[in-house]
Amino acid sequence: MTEWRGERQARDARIQAGRAHADGKVVPAGSVVDLLEAVLRPGDRVCLEGDNQKQADCLARGLAACDPGKVHDLHMVQSGIVLPEHLDVFETGIAKRLDYSYSGPQGARIAKMLYGGQIQLGAVHTYLELFARYFVDLTPHVALIAGVSADRDGNLYTGPNTEDTPTVVEATAFKNGVVIAQVNQIVDKVPRVDIPGDRIDFVVEADTPFYVEPLFTRDPAAMTETQILIAMMAIKGIYAEYGIRRLNHGIGFGTAAIELLLPTYGEKLGLKGQICTHWALNPHPTLIPAIESGWVQQVHCFGSEVGMDRYIRARPDIFFTGADGSLRSNRAFCQTAGLYACDMFIGATLQIDLMGHSSTITQSRVAGFGGAPNMGSDPHGRRHPSDAWMKAGREGQVVGDPALMRGRKLVVQLVETFGEKLVPTFVEKLDALELAKKIGLELAPVMIYADDVTHIVTEEGIANLLLCRDADEREQAIRGVAGYTDVGRGRDRAKVEELRARGVIRRPEDLGIEPLDADRALLAAKSIKDLVHWSGGLYEPPAKFRNW
Amino acid sequence: MAGAHAASTDPNALSWYEATARQRVVALADPGSVQEFLPPTERRMSPHLPLFDLPRAFDDGIVVGRAKLDGKTVLVAAQEGRFMGGAFGEIHGAKLVGLLRAALTLKPAAVLILFDTGGVRLQEANAGETAIAETMRAIVDVRAAGIPVIGLIGGRAGCYGGGGLIAGTCSRLAVSEGGRISVSGPEVIETNKGAEEFDSRDRALVWRTMGGKHRRLIGGADVFCADTVSAFRQAALDLIGRAPAFDLATLEAEQARLESRIERFGDCRDATDIWARLGVNDPEAVPAMATRAFDETVSRVREADHDAR
Repeated sequence: MTEWRGERQARDARIQAGRAHADGKVVPAGSVVDLLEAVLRPGDRVCLEGDNQKQADCLARGLAACDPGKVHDLHMVQSGIVLPEHLDVFETGIAKRLDYSYSGPQGARIAKMLYGGQIQLGAVHTYLELFARYFVDLTPHVALIAGVSADRDGNLYTGPNTEDTPTVVEATAFKNGVVIAQVNQIVDKVPRVDIPGDRIDFVVEADTPFYVEPLFTRDPAAMTETQILIAMMAIKGIYAEYGIRRLNHGIGFGTAAIELLLPTYGEKLGLKGQICTHWALNPHPTLIPAIESGWVQQVHCFGSEVGMDRYIRARPDIFFTGADGSLRSNRAFCQTAGLYACDMFIGATLQIDLMGHSSTITQSRVAGFGGAPNMGSDPHGRRHPSDAWMKAGREGQVVGDPALMRGRKLVVQLVETFGEKLVPTFVEKLDALELAKKIGLELAPVMIYADDVTHIVTEEGIANLLLCRDADEREQAIRGVAGYTDVGRGRDRAKVEELRARGVIRRPEDLGIEPLDADRALLAAKSIKDLVHWSGGLYEPPAKFRNW
Repeated sequence: MAGAHAASTDPNALSWYEATARQRVVALADPGSVQEFLPPTERRMSPHLPLFDLPRAFDDGIVVGRAKLDGKTVLVAAQEGRFMGGAFGEIHGAKLVGLLRAALTLKPAAVLILFDTGGVRLQEANAGETAIAETMRAIVDVRAAGIPVIGLIGGRAGCYGGGGLIAGTCSRLAVSEGGRISVSGPEVIETNKGAEEFDSRDRALVWRTMGGKHRRLIGGADVFCADTVSAFRQAALDLIGRAPAFDLATLEAEQARLESRIERFGDCRDATDIWARLGVNDPEAVPAMATRAFDETVSRVREADHDAR
């Protein structure tokens, strides 16, 4: 006799055990450890919610405080390894296996623990891949998530930082899993139901509001003239030429400079309405001047950004907001939008090799991928045309029947030839390869593969890799914009000049840009305070970004 | 120099914070009146930095010269915060000391010091420390000769370390919101006393504790001005006109003021506590106040103005 309801019965038993520590669904913060020890079983797959923005930190502390005699050998399946507790559980034996996506601040420690064998790694994913596997073979038994408020029935208001929550809950609640939510407060009625209560089994009133990292705030005061020059080249040489209207920006200073140049330099070039109208983007404070100047039609967000909530509330024509007025973000949908609905991804990286492979991994840090490879790749499943996509397709097509030509997404790397502390961005061999060998990764952690990259922009110029016809041209095009790095100095001068004559490489002067015009005076906002003024006082920057 | 090409030269539009040292001097003074001493073409550079394989600046990060302000002759020194954080090295310091000593014979209407410095340059620390001491001695001589020394503070690097000490010896100080005045910087305090004592990454805290508004409210600066060159020019003219006497009575008054300040505010945990005790109605609102509203607030605080220094 086949048992068809084993998972369901196990789930009911877990919930039954957990109820001993709850009043209905509500669990006091002091009982988190008891609850987790009652609900979790050794070897469970557990999703502890957290990504590059919000963190279920109260539940993370609770999990780390569990008795490893009772809770052990968990298989963590989660977006981010960000808090110290995320790794503490591997040191105590509470957790054993790991599948994840992003590990910014814990990058060095995770590398050490992988090397030391304390973590059995499944794989480092992109966000979308990990979400996809939640529905195929990494479905959580228990999900530990974070929201702003809940009622006693478990109806959950995630607040503007909805992020991964709907995806995690969908995979867990509908496949016999248990969902535990930490909230900042229990209320009689939530402002908006982001997750219906019948998908939430327990609600913990956290001792402190969940943590959110202001990862997408770039202070205009720190922008350099080099970054402004690179931004000018990108706007004139790529945005304008391809007519990029649908796009995603990375989080670096280069793209933030582009955002701040739209109302000034972009306006002067007459590009308003022609470019940058529709975005898959977090609510970057540096986009405020462009929004206020009428450049932007709409923005869908992965998450929110600290301090932007009041501004977003006042601009519902631009952002996706609920009936309550606050932002509704959704990482899975926005990543999908970035992958399929955008004509361009543009962002920075730490290392680029001679073919154009890039990585943010250094010898001692495993930073993970997050979402950049989803945005920064050419989706072969795309079937709808746009002018930008078709133009890139024509440039890239070397052989084959023109009638069967398809378009290309533009994937642009925006880098200074030397990064922080004058470390060269261009290298013969990525550090990622060395690291993969050292800690035994089957797949080298490449952020964006060479065959996805279409352009590299540096202060020396733009290399259009679509126009390169063989590996040698590609290498020389990259060397030709690599400045005074060893890679740049190793260029074949004659070949680089030939590429320049063909428009494969374009210098500022080829684009009609005078480098001395790259001045901070061009920035629509020169400080965080300027951004506050642009927002009409609605943007409330966190203390670490205020110089007043 | 960076920015010279495209930046506005209109003093009403030019941001002091954004401008280079040379842009500040040129836009501050009467048009065409600046005569620079030991300009970059003279290449008086640091003899020490090459030992550390560090790049040098042709002017060692300071502009000194003579200029007219509303027709009156003044001597001006401006530190370049973009070169080594405006730090004092041997040549840098010597140019400032030389300028101050020249004031004794040239008898200008005032000496203006446009501070933008993190303090002494670590690579030439002894020379830098000596320069700080010599500068303070020279300022005392200049002030004793009846010539006001006015400090203008609103640059990127703030006015820290020895720069903060020198500022304390000036006749009058003008500061903008972006300007910071202190001796130990936020990171130094955090390193020595811990993040619980002072979290250097909490920039709002840094500005509450060392920023222009706080210095103005407690009388550490005499004018709070907007972040434009024209506002600093107006402040300089205003302060030259009301420089205090430099005598025993002034020094004793300053000693008494500082003693009473410690007594009154020594137990305050945050600048907002001090502002409340000074009689500011809504201390929490001070950081976000625009210049005019802040000036009104200052006008109601009695201790903000004094001749003590």
